[in-house]
Amino acid sequence: MARAITNQRKAVNTLVAWVIGLLIFFPILWTVLTSFKTEAVAIADPPIWFNFHWTLENYFTVQERSNYFRHFWNSVVISVGSTVLGLVIAVPAAWAMAFVPGKRTKDLLMWMLSTKMLPPVGVLVPIYLLFRNMGLLDTKLGLIIVLTLINLPIIIWMLYTYFREIPGDILEAARMDGANLRNEVIYVLLPMAVPGIASTLLLNIILAWNEAFWTLNLTAAKAAPLTAFIASYSSPEGLFYAKLSAASTMAIAPILIMGWFSQKQLVRGLTFGAVK
Amino acid sequence: MATQHARAAARLMISPSVILLLAWMIIPLGMTLYFSTLRYNLLMPGSNPFVGWENYQYFLTDPAFMTALVNTLLLVGGVLIITVIGGILLGMLLDQPMWGQGIVRILVIAPFFVMPTVSALVWKNMFMNPVNGLFAHLANFLGLQPFDFLAQAPLLSIIGIVSWQWLPFATLILLTAMQSLDQEQLEAAEMDGAGAFSRFIHITLPHLSRAVTVVILIQTIFLLSVFAEILVTTNGGPGNASTNLTYLVYAESLLRFDVGTGSAGGVVAIVLANIVAIFLMRMIGKNLDT
Repeated sequence: MARAITNQRKAVNTLVAWVIGLLIFFPILWTVLTSFKTEAVAIADPPIWFNFHWTLENYFTVQERSNYFRHFWNSVVISVGSTVLGLVIAVPAAWAMAFVPGKRTKDLLMWMLSTKMLPPVGVLVPIYLLFRNMGLLDTKLGLIIVLTLINLPIIIWMLYTYFREIPGDILEAARMDGANLRNEVIYVLLPMAVPGIASTLLLNIILAWNEAFWTLNLTAAKAAPLTAFIASYSSPEGLFYAKLSAASTMAIAPILIMGWFSQKQLVRGLTFGAVK
Repeated sequence: MATQHARAAARLMISPSVILLLAWMIIPLGMTLYFSTLRYNLLMPGSNPFVGWENYQYFLTDPAFMTALVNTLLLVGGVLIITVIGGILLGMLLDQPMWGQGIVRILVIAPFFVMPTVSALVWKNMFMNPVNGLFAHLANFLGLQPFDFLAQAPLLSIIGIVSWQWLPFATLILLTAMQSLDQEQLEAAEMDGAGAFSRFIHITLPHLSRAVTVVILIQTIFLLSVFAEILVTTNGGPGNASTNLTYLVYAESLLRFDVGTGSAGGVVAIVLANIVAIFLMRMIGKNLDT
């Protein structure tokens, strides 16, 4: 009897949760569906759900009209570039703070986090003018520099929380067993640090891929990543639902998949380990 | 093992980060402060005379500033209320036993990974468009007059769009926190005769307080500088109806090329963000210690 009640409750939970889940996901589903329609079908009233002639035409048109792949490539270079550069700078710092903590380490970490509180718009003008004078406007390098700097505090914090969980006892034990520094780093430290570094890498690619304030303000045509390119569809002549959907689907697909794989690390990473 | 030698090495390893972040804070910030005291317009090259507080006076007495300030607070507050309450409810739902929990979870967190410009365009055109949008179709179907969301209720529409993007984040964090709640404690309370509501108030909610703090802190940082959604959907309009501080400063400096006033606005934005930040950092500092 008790079992029947739980099953009934489980069924109700399942129904409610699926309905809500599908409602939240619906705009994405609708965008993906629309990307396979012709423009006429895309704006049909009443809406056509599944029974239409599926076509890949929009994907080709988007690429032909505006060299979509170049913007895609810009996004890849900028997000991967800024993340790797950020890691190169942040790994040693996080490492040192986790393993040789001083009296000031905590203050230092809080200060670093506080630089993240600086609203981007407060420094937009000088960065814009500096970039203009240095010829960095509308370049991938310029964006890599800015995104590295704005994400650096987060990278350091994430790495720090991961590194701090590596027990120092294991290192000492290895040293007792006669491991030299090189072996200690390669065989003991690295295997324990790699998962943390990988998660940080993944999450920062996601953050950099979707960052829109700086990309919209510092790029025009040449170095525009997908965030800026997609925004150009808001002009009236770009108003074609099926093509807009195709461009959008291609822009979000890689990050959506990456995000789904890293959802557990996301919680740790974005809350600096404060929520477990 | 923290010898003198190790400490020196550690300092050396930390210094690039510290130097870069310090430079990132001081150089542009110093320039913003400096520009804010000049009459400086990119359309009128030449001398940029010192004018003292004039830009601040102009920016702060501009009626657009008050509107933008109120809009900023409404946007941040509105999205926080929706996502925190929605996140708690959704988290509680997803914490229940059900079939296909993993898939539902994947559906619910998906909007977080959608880039802001895509989300804004999709909502603006495919849903809120008064002629071809899905909401208009729905209204027609029900025999109602289609509603022009972005023209009639621009700020509310943007709050809706931004909430859709951030609800997954709040849900994910709060669900994770809920899963670490001690089930035995809940059962014991139930045995003692505590109803579902008082169990929620006295056990679940206090347990979630740290997660809620973290959600509020992180979302506030990002929500204070919402920009792409406004640029793409309404351009801050109609009039100033959906202009927040970030957008106002952008318009001042990069649309009207008034670097002086834009910089003054930037400084104001920094001061306001810091008032919020000090308050929030205290909260999180307290929470991280215990």
